[in-house]
Order: sequence, then structure tokens, then C-alpha cells
Amino acid sequence: MSLKREVDQFANPPRWLFFSPTLEHYYEAFVIQSFVQYLITSAIVAVASTACALVLGTLAAYSLARFELPWNLDRKLSLWILSTRMFPAIVTAVPLFLMMRDLRLLDTRLSLIIVYTGFNLPFVVWMMRGFFVEVPRDLEEAALVDGDSRLGALWRVVLPLVAPGLAATAVFCLIVSWNEFLFALVLTQTDQAMTLPVGIAGRVTQYEIKWGIMSAAGAVAIIPILAFALVVQKYLVRGLSLGAVKG
Amino acid sequence: MQKLTRSFNASRRDLLFATLLVTPALAVLVSLSIYPLLYSIQIALQTDGPAGPTWSFANFSRLAGDNFFLAAMAHTFIYSAVALTFEFVLGFALALILNSTIRGQRVFRAAFLIPMMIPPVVVGVVWRLMLNPNFGAVNGVLRQLGINTEQLTWTASPRLALAAVIAVDVWQWTPFVFLVLLAGLQAIPQEPYEAARVDGSNAWQTFRHVTLPLLKPAILIVLLLRTMDLLRVFDQIFILTEGGPGFATETVSLYIYRAAFRFSDFGYAAAMSFVLLIITNLISAIYIRLLQSREGVA
Amino acid sequence: MNGHVHTLLCPNNMNLTKPIVIIAVLLLLISGCRNNSKRQIRLAVNVGVEGEALKQAALDYEAQTGIHVNIAAFPYANLFEKEQLDFNARTGAYDLVMLDDPWFPRFAAKQFLADLTPLLQKRGQNQPDSDFVANSIALCRHPYQTGTLFALPYVGNSQLFFYRKDLFEKHKLPEPSKWDDVLSSAKKIQEAENAAGNKIYGYVMRAAQGNAAVADFMPIFWAFGGEMFDSNGRPTVNSREGVEALKFMLELGKVSPPGYASFNADEVGAHLLQGTAAMSINWPAWISPFDDPAKSKVIGKMAFTVLPGAQKPGQAEIGNWLIAIPKDSKNVDAAMDFLIWATSAEQMRLSAQRGNPPTRISIFKDAELISKYPAYPAQLHSLETSRPRPRTAQWNEIENAFGIFLSKANSGELTAEDAMNQANAEIDKIIQRQ
Repeated sequence: MSLKREVDQFANPPRWLFFSPTLEHYYEAFVIQSFVQYLITSAIVAVASTACALVLGTLAAYSLARFELPWNLDRKLSLWILSTRMFPAIVTAVPLFLMMRDLRLLDTRLSLIIVYTGFNLPFVVWMMRGFFVEVPRDLEEAALVDGDSRLGALWRVVLPLVAPGLAATAVFCLIVSWNEFLFALVLTQTDQAMTLPVGIAGRVTQYEIKWGIMSAAGAVAIIPILAFALVVQKYLVRGLSLGAVKG
Repeated sequence: MQKLTRSFNASRRDLLFATLLVTPALAVLVSLSIYPLLYSIQIALQTDGPAGPTWSFANFSRLAGDNFFLAAMAHTFIYSAVALTFEFVLGFALALILNSTIRGQRVFRAAFLIPMMIPPVVVGVVWRLMLNPNFGAVNGVLRQLGINTEQLTWTASPRLALAAVIAVDVWQWTPFVFLVLLAGLQAIPQEPYEAARVDGSNAWQTFRHVTLPLLKPAILIVLLLRTMDLLRVFDQIFILTEGGPGFATETVSLYIYRAAFRFSDFGYAAAMSFVLLIITNLISAIYIRLLQSREGVA
Repeated sequence: MNGHVHTLLCPNNMNLTKPIVIIAVLLLLISGCRNNSKRQIRLAVNVGVEGEALKQAALDYEAQTGIHVNIAAFPYANLFEKEQLDFNARTGAYDLVMLDDPWFPRFAAKQFLADLTPLLQKRGQNQPDSDFVANSIALCRHPYQTGTLFALPYVGNSQLFFYRKDLFEKHKLPEPSKWDDVLSSAKKIQEAENAAGNKIYGYVMRAAQGNAAVADFMPIFWAFGGEMFDSNGRPTVNSREGVEALKFMLELGKVSPPGYASFNADEVGAHLLQGTAAMSINWPAWISPFDDPAKSKVIGKMAFTVLPGAQKPGQAEIGNWLIAIPKDSKNVDAAMDFLIWATSAEQMRLSAQRGNPPTRISIFKDAELISKYPAYPAQLHSLETSRPRPRTAQWNEIENAFGIFLSKANSGELTAEDAMNQANAEIDKIIQRQ
């Protein structure tokens, strides 16, 4: 029920301060202020970082799932990858800021993409490993016997089988990147690289919280997510639970 | 003949292949987490003196005497414990109840997914609007129900503010608990239930001896993930109350942020981060130990 | 059988590779680019009324000179953090920064800002002209008043006392000149109006922790004779006068709307505009909304005067916004050109017409503007008799700690004595750390 109330609120903020019709806020937010730019930045950063994380992470996950590295490395690696999720984000914020400054990447989208890829990697590895473990080896063996390379076998045989898991993981990564706030706040300095959450938070001022603009921006921030949720919800749940149950 | 040769060479090549696959991901992770970790250790152990930075434990010892830090820790623990309890109990209950009704599940699941996926910033903003004592929706509804809202100044009274912030987190994350536990419940095969029924056990016994043990992995994962996230919470509180009123909702993450970015006291912030990191590690280690032992049994 | 599986799965995936690679490369290219084509300078401003005028001025500047002024706007606290981070890390992200005067001592002491005197001399001036209000320019020097010039003042904010003259006339109350009068009038108005069925509070204030609570408390603190530091630099907020002042604030809180303990400027403004509060301390930037029919229900009913006194005469707290040039900026000269242009008399006049309180005396005395803003004489008087918050480089930490304890007292968590004692101890800790 509270969900509904919010959607209503966004659609029509019935605030005594604003006598003008609703659409004006959307106009002001998007055309006059830089929200279109924030939107585009958020989209680019989310998609790019998800793509990178998926590629790198899936490869790593496959390796961890299929092969036994010396010294029980694969088990340790999995645990270590999980543990990176425990870092309070603030710990890494300042060093990363300095690192990006030295690389001359401050206030660029690329810096955000790199950092978000780093965020999403552990999750991708963890999830995809769970999925890969489920796939029986025989199919790959068969492909190998048929003359395929290992990589080819992965690409042609295994990936299609874990496609739902891949999709679920992809959506989750997209959402995490889209919603991320702290690093975007720290690593961006001007409009050219700011993402949507930073833009929204930037309207919470000391003197006048511009509710109208924020509601409009907030609504737009949520819409892609709602769309994704409806489309992918079945896979998302399955993915989450498979990862959970199989551990 | 050909097959034999291939599988012989395969093992060493396989290792190389495997390592190659893992390396890029590892490289990214290492650069993005090892370097910051080392840097943080360095600045945590340094203090600025008149002659330049010197190595000392001053930042850590300052923590012990810092009332603000201890208060922030207390807030973080209360927040995490209370939120976790509510989220777990509610999520579990919902999962058990909704496990039986198969109809309309798609709609339910989609609807429940939504709060989790809204950017925490937006959640903070919207709830801040709704919790406004004079113009907000929450008090508006309460007033229509006849409740006097004069003293219900959510973000202005210390205890209410903490309660409000916890409530928002529960609203946002109970669905996560619910979804994972539901999936876990649905993954349990029918046989144990049948066996239990044949044995003549009642609902409570079935629950305790069949459902719970089989659900243990899912439960532990949920607890682990939520605890890690709760101890680190930042975004929503930052927007909702900024740690106020009067420090009542300041968690460790917020205090670290303040030390680093408002007071430019990076060494102190790093020291605090380490304390938080160690605590989180300890708690997670406990969870993982339990999880692993369960897996052994199962 | 295996070959079967193979061919089934084979075809679809092959065609995806190329487009994916192309898109990925494109994305990476887009993301790395920075827009360096036009000549531009970058300005960091505050989101809110203070930043608005400067934003407008920047657009005018671009129209006139073709130089693009790239504006990065942040909310108050975040603006400080961003500027500080930028200065500390020497990133040179901004060519001009807007700063609230309490931040100035810290930035100046750490030598983050460019000395403006040589830049002025290059342009034929030895010092800023005497049309600037003395108190405003004094803020821009480090040490205070006498030292090197590191900034120029842009927003001439200094507190005023707002009150509903219609209610005062109705209940035959004189214009408040002492805080005790304020309290008694507040009580009278609130009782009388509530009895008549109007929900009106006698007073409203900002008591949200941090800058809000401290800024609204200092005038009361000073009027009661409190001083933050004694002549040795040790904190004395828990002096008898200080505790009296806090107790008085709590009394005022009783005739303020509930929840005031977390109010910030927008809540205070809302109450005043809606007519549900009769008096408040506020900043001149808030005067213009009162005559705006889209926002105000009390058009023509507000009056503005100087701050009331108590044991000591009332003194407003000055809160100017200054503009400075970071030392690490890569466009110092271009930035200085803009700064001189923006603080020139004609540009200030233009921004005053847009609602920005000026920092030049001539503009305060401009007849045309006075007819538009009848409070100008009061504002000028307030500016010229105002006093600044303590000019210490650790003001941020001090304000943070002090604000927390003020907020705790106002929300009932601590008594006035305890709050002041604990605040004093914290402030002492902060000073000792230096």
C-alpha cells in the first residue's frame, strides 16, 4: 500500500507550495536543470560497468567452478571475493579519490565505471559460480571431444544454459550501479559526470527542499527499475535463491 | 590415439587456462581494494605533527575516548539488531504464509521487489517528505484516523527518529528476506514432508525438524547479507536525518564520512573504518562457520 | 547425439559478438571524453537563494564575453565538503568558489586560496574600493580585518528580525526591541490567536543540529552577554550568561511549532509564509518571497527590524557569502576577471534587483531599490553593526559539536546546564587537538 502512495505522490505532488500543474516540475528538472545529463550519465555508467563486470566475472566464475587451483586457491578466492562486500564503502572512498586524481580520471564517467565494475565483480563471481556448478560437465566434455576449444565450449554450450542466471545477475548489477550514491558523490565534481542519485540529493538544500523537482527526478529514477523488475522478476528470484540455497 | 593425447596435455594447459580466466577479475579487484586498504592502514597509523606525519596509534586511542564514536557504535548496533529482527521475523512469516497460495504469485513477487530496488537516496527523500510532521503523508493519515500527531515529530525527537529510520529500512529490505526464504521454502522437496506426515508429526514438529534444518542455508545467507549491509548503512540515513536530531541517528558510517569530508581528518576516519571492518569480519566469520558446518551435515 | 546438441546451440550466439564489441568501445570512448572545446571557467556555488543570483550573473557574463561559466551547485554541507576535498587533494577542479564566511578562516589558514591583492594591482587597484561594506570586506581578510585579502563578498547577508506587524498592531504590542519583549509578545499573541481559533505560534526558529541551530542561537547568546571564547582562547560557553541564553532559547521553543528541534530554513520559511508563526530571526534573502502571491499568505504583513537585545544591545550575526579563487585553479586570471565583473557596482545592482542582498553601500542607498526593498536601511544598519562568528580554522568541528548539544537541549535530551557543560568540554577537546 505504501508503494502505491508513493507512486501517486510522484505523479501528482499535491503540495500547497506549488500551485502550478504537475508537468512543470518534469520540465524544469529535465530541460532547465541538468537532469537529462544525469540520466544519460547514470545509464552509460550502469550499462558499461555491468558489461565489464559480467565479462570478467563470468570468466573468473567459470574458472573457479570448473578447475581446482593449487593450494585450495579457488575456495579461498571465493571467500575473499565475498569478503570484499564487507568493506564499509567509506574506507575506500578517499584512497580511490586520490587514485583517480593521479590517473587524471576525476570527474569522468570512466572513473565511475571502473569503481562500479569493482563493486559488481564479487557479486557476479559469486552468483555465476553457483550457476556454473549446477551445469553437468558432460556437455562440455562432449563439445571438447567434438573438437571445440575450452573457450568455445564455454561460449556455445554452457552460457546458453546459465542464461537466466546471467540475466538475473545482470539486472542486479544494473540496479546496484544505477542506485549507487557515495562514490558518485565523492568522485564527481561537476555536472559532466554526476549521476541521478547525486543530482537528486543535491536538491536537498538547507533552505528549500525542492520537492517538485526531486519527485520528478525520483520518479524517473525508479521507472527503469520498475520495468526491469516486472520483466525479470521470475529470474531474479530464482537467481537470488539459487545463489542462496546452493551457497 | 588422438583423444588420449588431448586429455594428457589438457591438465597443464587447463591450469594455465583457468588462471588466465581468473586474472583480469582479480587484477581489478586487487587494484580497487588492496591499494585503498594499504593506503588506509598508512593514514590510520599516522598523525600530523608539527614536524610532519609520524607513526603512532594516536588515532586508535582517540577512538576509545570519543563519546561521539561510542554513541555512533551503539546506534549502529541497535539499528542493525532491531532492523534485522523485524526484517527476519516479518520476512519469514510472509514466506511461510505465502508459500501456500500459488495464485497471483507473479504480481506479489514483482510488487515486493520494488522497495529493494529503489535508489536509497530516493527512499530517503520520499520518506523525509512523508515523515514531515506538518505536511507529510504519515501524520496526515494518522490525523485522519483521529490520532493526535502534535508530539509525533518524527525527525525531531531522538527516539522517534531512530525508530523512523529503522522502519524505513525494514520497509525497504523485508522483501529481500521474504523472497530468498520463499525460494528456499519452495526448493524443499516433498519427500521429507511426506515422511513426517507418515510418522504422524504435527505442524510444529514438522516445522522444527523438517523445514528449519532444510532452510538453514538460506536463513544463514540472508542473515549474513543483511547484517553486512546493515552495519554499513549510509545512503538513506544521510538523506533522511543526516544523523540528527542531535546525533541520535548517527551511525558509524555517517561519522566516518563526517570525519573524512567535513573535518578533513582522514586518518581518524580510516581508523574508525578499520574498527568497523574488524567487527563486521568477526560477525561474518561466525555466520560462515555456522553455514559451513551446516553444509557438511546436509 | 553430441553433434546435434552442438549445432542446436551454435548459430545464435555467434552474431552477437561483433555488435557487443562495437557498442562497448563506443561507450568507453564517450565516457572518457571531457568537454574542453570552449574557453570556460568553473564555479562552485550553493544550491539555494544565495547561489541563484550568482548563477544568473554567470549566464549574463557568458552572453557578454563568450566565456562559458560552468556551474557546479551543491547543497550547503556538501559544498563545503567538495571544496575542502578539492583543495586538500589539489585537483584544481574549480576556478571560483562560493564560500560561507565561517569557512573562510580554515581555507585561508591552510593557504588554499589565491592572494587577491597582486591580481587587483595588475588591474590597477591597490585594494577593493571603499564602496564595499567594511564589515563584509573584513571577513575576506585573513587574519580578520587586517590581513591579506583572499576573497570578495557577494551576498551581503546579515540577520534581521522578522515579525508580523499586523498581529502586533492588532494586540497593541510595541515593536520588540528586547528578547524579553519577544517572549512575552509571543505568548500573548499565541494565546489570543489560539483562543480566537487561529492556529498561530508566537515564534519559530531553526534548531536542526549543525549550522542551523548555531546560527540562530548566537545572537541570543551574545545579547545575553555570552562569549564563546575568553581572552586566552579557552571556551566559555557554559558561563552563567551562556546557560541563561540557552534556557531562554528553550523558553522560546515552548511557543514554537512542535518539531522545531529539527527545523531548517525551509520549515521556518514555510511557517512564516503560511502565517502560522509570528516572529523569527531570518536572513534578508527570505524577504522577497513574502510579497510573492504564489508563495505567501501574509503579503504586506511582515516587518523587518534589527535584532533585539538583552543585557547587551542586539547584534546581528553576519553571514556573508564570499567568492574566492583557489590557488590550484588553472585559470586564475580569467577567474579574477569574472570576480571583478561580478562584484562591480552595476552588476551588484543588477543582482540586487534579482533579490540578492548587496555588499556595496551605494546600492543599499539606491532610491529605486529602496522603494522595491523597504527593508534596505534596516539591512544596511544590521550589516554595519553586525559581528561575525568566531574566526577560527576549526569552526566546522566546533559548530558541529556545539550544534549537536544545542539540538539535544532543544529536543529535551539534556538540560541547559548539562548541554552547555558538555559542549564546553567538547569544544575544549577540539581546541586542544590543534
